Amino acid sequence: MKILLILLPFLNIKTHMPNFNLTLSPAQIEFVLKPGVTIIQAYDVINDSGSSITLNTQVLPWIPNGTNGSVNYNQAINNPNIEFSLNNSNIQLGQPFTLAANSKQQLVLKIKTNSNIPLSDNYYTFFVFQNQNTTNTHNGSTSQANGKIGSHILLTVSDTENPKVTSEIQSFSISPKIKDVFFNSITFKGKIKNNSDFFFKTNGKITINKNDKIIKELELNPDNVLNHHSRDISCANQTSCQINPPLWPGHYKVIINLDSSLNAKPYETSFYVWPISPILLIVLVAGIIFGIRKFKPKTKN
Amino acid sequence: MNQKTKKLFIFLTILSTIYYLRPNTSFAQTFDSASYHIDFGNFNMTSGKKSSTNYTLTDTVGQNAPGRYDTAGYVIKAGFQYLYESGIPLSFEISDTDLNFGSLTPNIGSTVTNTLTISTPTGHGYDILAIANHPLKYLNSTIPDTKCDSGSCSESVSGVWTNNSTFGFGFNANGNGTSSYFTNSTYFRQFADNSSGETAKILMSEPTRVKDHSALITYKINISPIQSAGTYENSINFIAVPKY
Repeated sequence: MKILLILLPFLNIKTHMPNFNLTLSPAQIEFVLKPGVTIIQAYDVINDSGSSITLNTQVLPWIPNGTNGSVNYNQAINNPNIEFSLNNSNIQLGQPFTLAANSKQQLVLKIKTNSNIPLSDNYYTFFVFQNQNTTNTHNGSTSQANGKIGSHILLTVSDTENPKVTSEIQSFSISPKIKDVFFNSITFKGKIKNNSDFFFKTNGKITINKNDKIIKELELNPDNVLNHHSRDISCANQTSCQINPPLWPGHYKVIINLDSSLNAKPYETSFYVWPISPILLIVLVAGIIFGIRKFKPKTKN
Repeated sequence: MNQKTKKLFIFLTILSTIYYLRPNTSFAQTFDSASYHIDFGNFNMTSGKKSSTNYTLTDTVGQNAPGRYDTAGYVIKAGFQYLYESGIPLSFEISDTDLNFGSLTPNIGSTVTNTLTISTPTGHGYDILAIANHPLKYLNSTIPDTKCDSGSCSESVSGVWTNNSTFGFGFNANGNGTSSYFTNSTYFRQFADNSSGETAKILMSEPTRVKDHSALITYKINISPIQSAGTYENSINFIAVPKY
């Protein structure tokens, strides 16, 4: 027994912990539909865990929450003109099914719209979630963790392929407005507002000019701005929209331009770059020289 | 050549002609499941995903009319290599779903941990939300949600919880995407309570695409000496959704 206990850390014995590990693809779908149209979307659900799992499915409506792409399920209203169902022969929406360890299941979601559906956007999430297991197999107090993973559905119901959208640059700010040539980056923040009934993508760019010459162009990430809501801008390949030092001193003009199909007026602002640190350095060096000269003991001739 | 040999020659000629004109088997690919049978019209010489330290190559050799075809309203991506182009899918892992606190001792906090891990595809950040079905419950007795040392933390606001005379149940999240919700590992929050009509609250969030980002979740219970004995239970739902 003692030998076994000594050897235990060296034995490659894996203790089995129940876990949840699901992959859902695609993460989001976006469709423009005519009223009365039915579409089919296939989702792949992969159980990446080492044990089988009982899953269920659900479609919930949502509304945007804040301006950064989060959603709110609690104040959303279900559109009675849209019906969701699963086209799988052996799995129904809202009915549990079992997915074996390390296996994949294709779920075929059917989205059916009525012919009298109002022309507007509808936002839903297709959820795949773990069926709650409340059986306590321990003697002690327990919490059972359950996983749920969702894929968003953005549906535009329109008579035309490219419904007309209108937008505006709700806010745009630069920080700091007065900047040193060397230290710290200049960050651009802004919000784009959708004034129409249909979502669009923030296609556009921020252009930084000095003396009518383009210094830098920042492409905006094509994020979705949902109907009658706003969205923070973000830049491609950057965590935040910014330009890094060093910059030549002077006046810089910044223009944010959206794609012409978004019907938004360009927004223009500016910032200044001053040689603050070189001036401070010169003042400091001059001060030190002055100090040395003033307080240096005079040599007697 | 006599008559008999002639007949034999003609017979053998006809037989060999029939043999060479017989229908050939075509080697197409088929896929079967319990519900579907799919015939593939062509069979590639080679295809797949090859990778080295620095490069990943997806290819199809033998595909009919491969390539990307664009027209107003449609994009056709012909070729099996397009199966691989989606990159990282949305995936969500909870390392341990069975959170056993064992026997609880008054004034001594019991903790268990597990890890949440998430990956998201290009163009999407994520939110992970949490909600409990009800507070930890045994018969008619419940362990209340923690109010932290300051007495003011809730399902939306975290607070420091280190005092052994502060009772309740709460959690901390420490890792990627949690700093907006928990300052450090001494900060705890209540789980939103579905039975009280509360809504799921975000505990982990990032604005851009991530791969295998994780956070350690610490669940803590500290009971008072007057707490009824029993095996308390509840279930906690973790909901992972992409940013739209």
